[in-house]
Amino acid sequence: MRCAVFFCLLIGGWINYGSGVDPTNFKTCEQSSFCRRSRKVQSSGSKYSLISGTLNTYSDSVTADLLNKENHHQFTFKLEALVGGTFRLQIDEKTPLRPRYRVEHALKAQPKTVTIRVQESDGELTVTSGHSKAVIHGDPFRIDFYENDVHVVSVNAKNWLYFEHLRQKTQEQALPDSGEQQQNVEVLETLDEPGSWEENFKSHHDSKPYGPEAVALDFSFPAAEVLFGIPEHADSFALKSTSGTDPYRLYNLDVFEYIVDSKMALYGSVPVLYGHGPQRTAGVYWQNAAETWVDIYTAETNVVSSLVNFVSGSRKSTPPAAHFISESGIVDAFIMLGPQPMDVFQQYTALTGTHDLPQLFSLAYHQSRWNYNDERDVTTVSAKYDEFNMPMDTMWLDIEYTDGKRYFTWDKFKFPEPLTMIKNLTELGRHLVVIIDPHIKRDNSYFFHSDCTEKGYYVKTREGNDYEGWCWPGSASYPDFFNPVVRDYYASQYHLSKFKTVTEDVMIWNDMNEPSVFNGPEITAPKDLIHYGNWEHRDVHNLYGHMHLMGTFDGLQKRDPNQRPFILTRAHFAGSQRYAAIWTGDNLADWSHLQHSIKMCLTEAVAGFSFCGADVGGFFGNPDSELLERWYQTGAFLPFFRAHAHIDTKRREPWLFPERTRLIIRSALLKRYSYLPLWYTSFYELEQTGAPVIRPLLAHYPQDKEAFAIDSQLLVQQRLLVRPVMQQGVSKVDVYFPAIDDKKNGDYWYDVDTYQRQERTGSESIPVTEYKIPVWQRGGSIVPKKERLRRSSALMLNDPYTLVICLDRQGKADGTLYLDDEKSYAYRDGQYIYVNYEFANNQLTNRFIGKPKYKSDAWIERIVIAGLNRVPSSATITVNGVAQQLEVEQRDAAVYIRKPSIKMDVDFALKLNY
Amino acid sequence: MRLTNKQLVLLAICAVATVSSVYGGEVPRPRGVSLAKAALYQPRSDGKWTCLDGSKTIPFTQVNDDYCDCLDGSDEPGTSACPQAKFHCINKGHQSLDIPSSQVQDGICDCCDGSDELPVVGCGNTCNELGAAAAIERRNAAELHKRGAEKRQEMITRGKQLKADRAARRSELGARIKEQEGLKAEKEQLKRNAEALENEAMEAFKEQQRELDAETAQAEQEPQQMRQEATLSFVRYDANKDGFVEITELMVDMNLDSDRNGVVTVEEAKYFLDERERVDLDAFVTLAWPRIKPQKMLAEGLFQPPVVETEQPKPQVPSTEAPQAPVVNDEQADMELGIDEHGHDGEEDNEDEEDQYEEDDEPDVGVGEATADSETSTAAPNYDPETQRLIEQANEARNAFDEVDRHIREIEHEIKELDEQEGKDYGRNEEWAVLDGECYTFEDREYVYTLCPFDRASQKPRNGGAETTLGRWDQWLGEGDKYSKQKYSNGAACWNGPQRSALINIKCALEPRITGVSEPNRCEYYFEFETPAACDSEAFQAAEQNQHDEL
Repeated sequence: MRCAVFFCLLIGGWINYGSGVDPTNFKTCEQSSFCRRSRKVQSSGSKYSLISGTLNTYSDSVTADLLNKENHHQFTFKLEALVGGTFRLQIDEKTPLRPRYRVEHALKAQPKTVTIRVQESDGELTVTSGHSKAVIHGDPFRIDFYENDVHVVSVNAKNWLYFEHLRQKTQEQALPDSGEQQQNVEVLETLDEPGSWEENFKSHHDSKPYGPEAVALDFSFPAAEVLFGIPEHADSFALKSTSGTDPYRLYNLDVFEYIVDSKMALYGSVPVLYGHGPQRTAGVYWQNAAETWVDIYTAETNVVSSLVNFVSGSRKSTPPAAHFISESGIVDAFIMLGPQPMDVFQQYTALTGTHDLPQLFSLAYHQSRWNYNDERDVTTVSAKYDEFNMPMDTMWLDIEYTDGKRYFTWDKFKFPEPLTMIKNLTELGRHLVVIIDPHIKRDNSYFFHSDCTEKGYYVKTREGNDYEGWCWPGSASYPDFFNPVVRDYYASQYHLSKFKTVTEDVMIWNDMNEPSVFNGPEITAPKDLIHYGNWEHRDVHNLYGHMHLMGTFDGLQKRDPNQRPFILTRAHFAGSQRYAAIWTGDNLADWSHLQHSIKMCLTEAVAGFSFCGADVGGFFGNPDSELLERWYQTGAFLPFFRAHAHIDTKRREPWLFPERTRLIIRSALLKRYSYLPLWYTSFYELEQTGAPVIRPLLAHYPQDKEAFAIDSQLLVQQRLLVRPVMQQGVSKVDVYFPAIDDKKNGDYWYDVDTYQRQERTGSESIPVTEYKIPVWQRGGSIVPKKERLRRSSALMLNDPYTLVICLDRQGKADGTLYLDDEKSYAYRDGQYIYVNYEFANNQLTNRFIGKPKYKSDAWIERIVIAGLNRVPSSATITVNGVAQQLEVEQRDAAVYIRKPSIKMDVDFALKLNY
Repeated sequence: MRLTNKQLVLLAICAVATVSSVYGGEVPRPRGVSLAKAALYQPRSDGKWTCLDGSKTIPFTQVNDDYCDCLDGSDEPGTSACPQAKFHCINKGHQSLDIPSSQVQDGICDCCDGSDELPVVGCGNTCNELGAAAAIERRNAAELHKRGAEKRQEMITRGKQLKADRAARRSELGARIKEQEGLKAEKEQLKRNAEALENEAMEAFKEQQRELDAETAQAEQEPQQMRQEATLSFVRYDANKDGFVEITELMVDMNLDSDRNGVVTVEEAKYFLDERERVDLDAFVTLAWPRIKPQKMLAEGLFQPPVVETEQPKPQVPSTEAPQAPVVNDEQADMELGIDEHGHDGEEDNEDEEDQYEEDDEPDVGVGEATADSETSTAAPNYDPETQRLIEQANEARNAFDEVDRHIREIEHEIKELDEQEGKDYGRNEEWAVLDGECYTFEDREYVYTLCPFDRASQKPRNGGAETTLGRWDQWLGEGDKYSKQKYSNGAACWNGPQRSALINIKCALEPRITGVSEPNRCEYYFEFETPAACDSEAFQAAEQNQHDEL
């Protein structure tokens, strides 16, 4: 949801919609002392070397000691080989004054290791595992990673490793037992740095009791031409050079009216970064939950350097690189070697997991607003969708449904009978989602607050008191979700025996979980708060929302063990995708924000968060008809599809606009619902393989350099190419049809409305009407659809399918369909149908993947084939040896086969007759 | 009533089985087709049938075979195969109904006769019960409209009477004003004569009083200066440069926020415009500026609470510009008044304030002899008895003239009000007229809402605090029946938002009352209002008949 309106009031300023965020509310690198210090290394370099004789070789890893040659502090180094072409590099202090924080709960499980071979020669150590190889240089310390002997990643090639070891504060230095002389020298080193031992930002003071403890390391990508990843930023898909600007920042923040084209931190932080070139793709997951800044160095592409390269005959420019800088913790980096984009995306999800197959309704259309005022309001909006024969699956309630922002309660005046209201929705196959935020109103008569107070469940101040901040309820405290007991308590609150005024069909929206603290530094929690295990908030900040989600997910699973939970979250970290869908937060009703919805979700998708969307219409401000229409059309092709609006905006349900707008929106909704079988199949395959549901062009066209930076288009799996209209007042859009090789050969693409075929690669100007959503189906693919209209997706369960077959140059196509009960975990027990359809030689056949155990009443009502050279006279379908003639009809540029009427779990062969 | 998997096992087969079964009993026609359209669903002699849009000819057996053949969806009136098709529920015993194909065979019973779902869903037929209930409801509604219409008839009678009264009063005032204008001319002549004599005497007296000239000049200068200031301010306020200063133009000046609640309300602004909607330059100078100036001075810290008048002795020399002199006095009086009001403005509640403003009307518009008198008595120099006598005579003549003049203005004011009322649309038969001047309230958890038809809608927190105007009478806004909705616009501006407005949805009932108030959009209020004025038995019956005919 929204922002710190309250905070703005407190500080007495109101920012206009037009002007956006006030950047001075947030730190620059220069204002963040560890970033400033770590970045300095970029000019001087550091001197680290392995200490000879300390090497230990194990079956799956090597360890050694590492020395900072300037201050002689010692570190331990570990390189581990993991399954699937991934290495894990860890560096920690050998004997830290106190333990340094290691991220927990981000990985889906302890990664599996693989055996290695180790060779030593010329001070180099070569660690090999399958196609992957790491060559470790002792002095200066550096590791080069090779995939099939192609050099794809270097660690510390720039010598920007920077590791601030823990030290005693100078005052204590005077004490007689304060350690050796060596330490004295080091302390003096950083003494002249202001901000090392305490820091101020605006009116906020950070006590920094443990002093400087930053970690930083550079990663180079010699085979790459473009870097991408590290969401969440409102910026282009391809990362931009940070030379002359601040680095990209990863620090979960509630940013009020964020601006686009910005490297500022937003609500989520996923420290995974990819380097991609025509031959190779590799990635690095920097596992650190503290505030992190990432400097980006892109390859020099200016005239002089290209001239030099041309003359010298070498393309050896400095490879693109990233410098990760974190405030505390250890170096814990996963180097993923690809070789292709889809490989590396899957290597990442193998580590951090994927969203499980969601309930189908959550992939349908969501209707939200801050706020639907009362029960009548909810009922009326739901009924209006029926009146205008528009499908809608889920109504949402924002914070105003609660009794004074006390979560797990209802405003009894506006919502006297929530269970009746919920029943009215669920009877139509609809759902309700209610918001539950992590801030807890400090009200002694509120059970949740008294429980947390009594049991000591809140995050503590340095002094050991319950931390108090300001948020929606006024004075609020924040449960310490890092404590498993607190998570259990929290999870139990969702149980229907506790939260009696909802049903198991009511799902949850976790907002404000960065956490948002209106009167805190940068509108979040102070870094010197204390969490479970005595860790500082500084160490774990970016994980707070993630831990919140773990509690909610657990609660929903226990509430109804046979229903898949649906949770929407704003804050997220690596691995949060296992629990929740995300949206891009408090955007603006503005064309530039519409354009960024795709850029941001593409970046999220390759970082594990396929289940991503943006507030349709824009959260702040009032979209005009055209912007709203185009936003619905765009939202219809992003995985999470929800309209939402700020409380101060005008109502914008589709029927409040002229009829034309309503019909355009209806048409976009119908299109979304018709493709639900594809979305659902895609999410099943995401769970199975980790392959993102939406993908940038480079995922499947890795050699087409012109496609690398395109972020106004997306692929849905490898089946659809989507290029929504996202500019005002245009009658045509430029669409880029990517090449599969360097000879400009490409796939066939079929317009999904007309089946007109696009055969050329490169940029094409495509005319559009107000109704048009430019979408193409790839030649060679088969897409399952449901083309009957219903009030909600649940009512489509038994509706028949349409298969759309688009042929490639060889006249072939294939594609999968997955179906089950769309709701329960029965699919984990094999209650599903997963089938691959294959078309070749004028014949369509199906092949079941696994036994089709789910009993479905759905059937195939229509088969559409595009790309045939001739129109067949008829078709013959053979089931169990019984053949039957089917009518064939030409419509537009496709052939329709009438009513095969085959059940989904039946083997068949369908032949075209000429 | 949701469908289960098991229940639907035979869906596809059943759908085929029901293809073109006899439907509805009387005339054979495909499922989902209304009686009126039955003729369109007859097979040709060759067993074929053409889509209603003519787009295609198909075997009649393909009608309702659960596959969409026609572009217009006309071949599938009884299934969900065509997204744009309609299904006709006969609903015998109740109203028949067209539902979209999206609701056919989805496991939810939408037709009361259950015809939209397969028998396996087990919808049952509730049409008779619903029909009976609807009939009772219709009877009740008809009865309500009938009884309400009787009340409405009374309202019409009274409304017409009010209209006639207004017309009578209007013509009476027309005659009176003519009469008064004659009298005014007469009094003006008398005044002129008396002033001529007075002038003569004064000139003579002045000769003797040369030494007082300086102060006299000053006294003349002051009104001049006042006018200049006022003109400047007028230009500044007149944002749209139409030669008038309007309420909204004043509302931007926070100095005029008398109760200092952060908003210049319409009421506040109106006070400064002498309770008018807008004023031209002259009216501004004479009526508005004297009210505004003290506020300005107060805001700028220039205003010192007035010391007793006598401490700044001003030789009050009645001069030839005598008619202007009272204006000066008047203005001073107003200043005092303004301050005085201000003294308790902040604390007192708004209703009082308004009343007070209204009472202020008189002295502001009028000339204020009393004030002039008191001024004269405290500041008059010692004239010789003859001059004094002439001055008094002239004063009397002036007062007599002013009296008539004021009277005329009063009549004009009343005429204006009558004309305004005449300009309001009180409905086809004046049935709404009696509501003008009435106010109705509604309380919810937080607020008391007030609706004064044809005047304003407002809101006041129950736990105390200032009343906020949600809107002033704007217009009738019903779709279809114009008199089913009222709009009140230009209410107090919302913080960082638009000006408030209210939409009144009106229904027939025997007693007038507000039944609910909501705020679906920020700052847009929605009142549910009931009154017998909305009861129209004939229109109700006509609508009923119409609906019946359609079925």
